[in-house]
Amino acid sequence: MNGIGNTTAQRRSVLANVAIYGFLGAVVLLALAPTAWVMLSSFKTGNQIFSGNGFWPSPFTFQGFIDAFTQIQLHEYMLNTLLYAGFGTVGALGAAFLAAYPLARFSFRGRNALVALFSLALALPLVGLATPVFFVVRELGMFDSRLGMVIFYSALQFPFTFVVLRSFLVSTPPELEEAAMIDGAGYFTTLFRIVLPLTRPALATVAVVAFVNIWNEFFFANLLLVSEENRNVQLVLAGFKSEFGFNVTGAVAGATLVMMVPICLFLILQRQVIAGLTAGAVK
Amino acid sequence: MRGPIAVSLLPGLVLFGTFFMVPFLVLTGTAFARWSGLDFAWVGIDNYQKMFQDPVFFKAMANTLFYAAASVFIQVPLGIGVGLVLALRPRGWKTLRTIIFVPFVISGAAYALIFSMFYNPRAGLLNNALGALGLPGNRDWLFDTATARWAVAGTFVFIIGFVVVLVMAEIASIPNELYEAASVDGATTWQQLTRITLPLLRNVIGTAILIRLLVDIGMFDLVFILTAGGPDDATATLALYAYRAYLNGEWGYANAVGSVIIVIGLVLIVTVRRVFRIGERTL
Repeated sequence: MNGIGNTTAQRRSVLANVAIYGFLGAVVLLALAPTAWVMLSSFKTGNQIFSGNGFWPSPFTFQGFIDAFTQIQLHEYMLNTLLYAGFGTVGALGAAFLAAYPLARFSFRGRNALVALFSLALALPLVGLATPVFFVVRELGMFDSRLGMVIFYSALQFPFTFVVLRSFLVSTPPELEEAAMIDGAGYFTTLFRIVLPLTRPALATVAVVAFVNIWNEFFFANLLLVSEENRNVQLVLAGFKSEFGFNVTGAVAGATLVMMVPICLFLILQRQVIAGLTAGAVK
Repeated sequence: MRGPIAVSLLPGLVLFGTFFMVPFLVLTGTAFARWSGLDFAWVGIDNYQKMFQDPVFFKAMANTLFYAAASVFIQVPLGIGVGLVLALRPRGWKTLRTIIFVPFVISGAAYALIFSMFYNPRAGLLNNALGALGLPGNRDWLFDTATARWAVAGTFVFIIGFVVVLVMAEIASIPNELYEAASVDGATTWQQLTRITLPLLRNVIGTAILIRLLVDIGMFDLVFILTAGGPDDATATLALYAYRAYLNGEWGYANAVGSVIIVIGLVLIVTVRRVFRIGERTL
């Protein structure tokens, strides 16, 4: 039976195949044509982009990519964003791992309340907190500071990271740790020698998702950063739009490069990305 | 164990307390005040009264709900449809799944740039394609009040990769015996779809709707960069409305709007959880 289940349908009528591929083809076209067109445009000249003539680049040029680095200094903003995403991910993972372990393994007063509180943050539309976040960050002297941004992004990715790591630990049997503790290993020895290696797959999963989330973050970067030299790539992309006339080739090529970072990460680590998102969603 | 557990929880508690709890408390307090960050005065429910008398607020609310409806009634069903079709495992389904997921990892700021080009009345792909088909082109989709909201919704309703992945994972977990038994009993493919698959997808469909609603309720990046809420606030969202108040130094008012965003988010979450009975298993 060629049902909806997991059977690989061997024979399907020509008509059914036409319907299936027609539908999927239309969806792929709608979902990707604008993006593919912009990516192709990064090999076009400014004249061709402005005239809107032709789908394919003609003449073909790398000038846009050269402009992105020489005129827009994209590498500097990419470095900033790499710093935010890299250290922000490490911060979130560290704090979440340290919190997830006791909240998965030990029972103490207030444990459930704490778990509920951390998880609830996942269900809040955080843009509602914009002004208070700005106020707190400013009062802490972290406004428009790179270190401040790293700390803030660690906090922003903490709830998601925590929820996934904790549910991973809850579903892992505690025997190894118990054996280690009986052998006299202390809390942190057990945590780092036994639990950490076991948690590695879950850590890899949440790390990719947190990294991509921070790489793509615009709202709070726009709220908490002002200096040119602290900006992340998303702020630069938003700037392109408002100054569309100026260096369009560099803008389009730059946007393509900025998009390619999460796309490549996803293509390489597809399994981790999907596992991470699904785990975060279903919990 | 108390000492080490407390130490272990500390980083997470500090991050969470500073950037979620404190802002949340600041929000609830200052929503009833006139506050610009410097001067402060309690004003009772003035902010809410002002809000409910401002037609722009209702416009922003209507637009936000419009985007949410576009997600619930177009994006999620389309994702379910694609997930069901890909679960039939037509040749190349893995590649197609990957391709359809790609838009999900592209940032809002990048999408804003892509669609500002795509909808461009002079050089955009949309008008050129319509022109090539002999249809009337040259419409300024984003800045025409008749089409602006639809144009904005068009940027995200085809980002369905996440729904597809959730649906496919859930289908893969449905035991094949169910379909075998059904086909022995003479159930058609259609009956298997409507009587077995869709009811078992209830949980995951609800989850997909929840996640999307959270994004829509806080929708900011795309609208802020693409149209800044225009034309004539036809695309403005609640998050953008709150952000404008923040820029004007009306922090208390911004926070009152923020509280409305959060309450709407919570109401929608509770409703969707109820309607889809999320968390209850059917098998």
